[in-house]
Amino acid sequence: MNLSRRMLTKEEEDAVGDEIEVRREDQDKINKFSRLHSYELSIEEQLKAKNKEKEELDDITTELELADEDDLVPYKIGDAFFHLPLPHAQELLGLSTAKIEQEIGELEDKMATIREEMTQLKVELYARFGKTINLET
Amino acid sequence: MAEIQRRLQALSEDYTKLQKDLQDTVTSRQKLEAQMQENLGVQKEFEKLKDGETIYKLIGPVLLKQDRTEAEGTVKGRLEFIEKEISRLEGHIQETQAKMEKKKTEIIQLQTSAQAAAGGAGPQAVKGRA
Repeated sequence: MNLSRRMLTKEEEDAVGDEIEVRREDQDKINKFSRLHSYELSIEEQLKAKNKEKEELDDITTELELADEDDLVPYKIGDAFFHLPLPHAQELLGLSTAKIEQEIGELEDKMATIREEMTQLKVELYARFGKTINLET
Repeated sequence: MAEIQRRLQALSEDYTKLQKDLQDTVTSRQKLEAQMQENLGVQKEFEKLKDGETIYKLIGPVLLKQDRTEAEGTVKGRLEFIEKEISRLEGHIQETQAKMEKKKTEIIQLQTSAQAAAGGAGPQAVKGRA
């Protein structure tokens, strides 16, 4: 049962008149909208995680800039720690940061595409069904 | 009659919202409990440390040396914050539960009066809305 505020009152429902028929293509659009929305939520989660990772990498990169040149840095690779010379550790950090930035970029692109498609579907579905459909997420 | 139905609908929605609020708060409280246990564990480890032993913090893939006093201070501060948050949430939980009880009473009262009204006016078709 839809408990959102956008549920029609009895007066509004009477004012709409006869129900608009839901054609096959309409149902397909509604299903697609739903799928895209789930996908959008999933990508949001992934983006949150990746951004957190990137923040940590940035933090440690800054910290290491203040470190002693002669220090050995315990660097985690897989489940083991390797004592690396500072420049080597910094190099690896740079590579990881670049990789994560690229992944974040790709996710954001995907997100933009999904949102575009959803907006388009909204336009089409609202045009056909007006107030009798609720696509607000 | 329709007025009562509408009012019942609104109250029912309010109740559902309160339920969700309660659930979210309980989940947050559980998360905080886990964090507190973790930090207490760290504190216990700190107490076992002998002089000269180093503390490291994992930031990203790197183990960074930490100053002992600083690390202990950070953990202590975190524990204080968590304790405060937990009491705050407990308070909110009590509040929300009280509000839910009140709302339940309101709903029951309204339903009873609705039935009385319908009974008094003779048999009527009550249109349900789902």
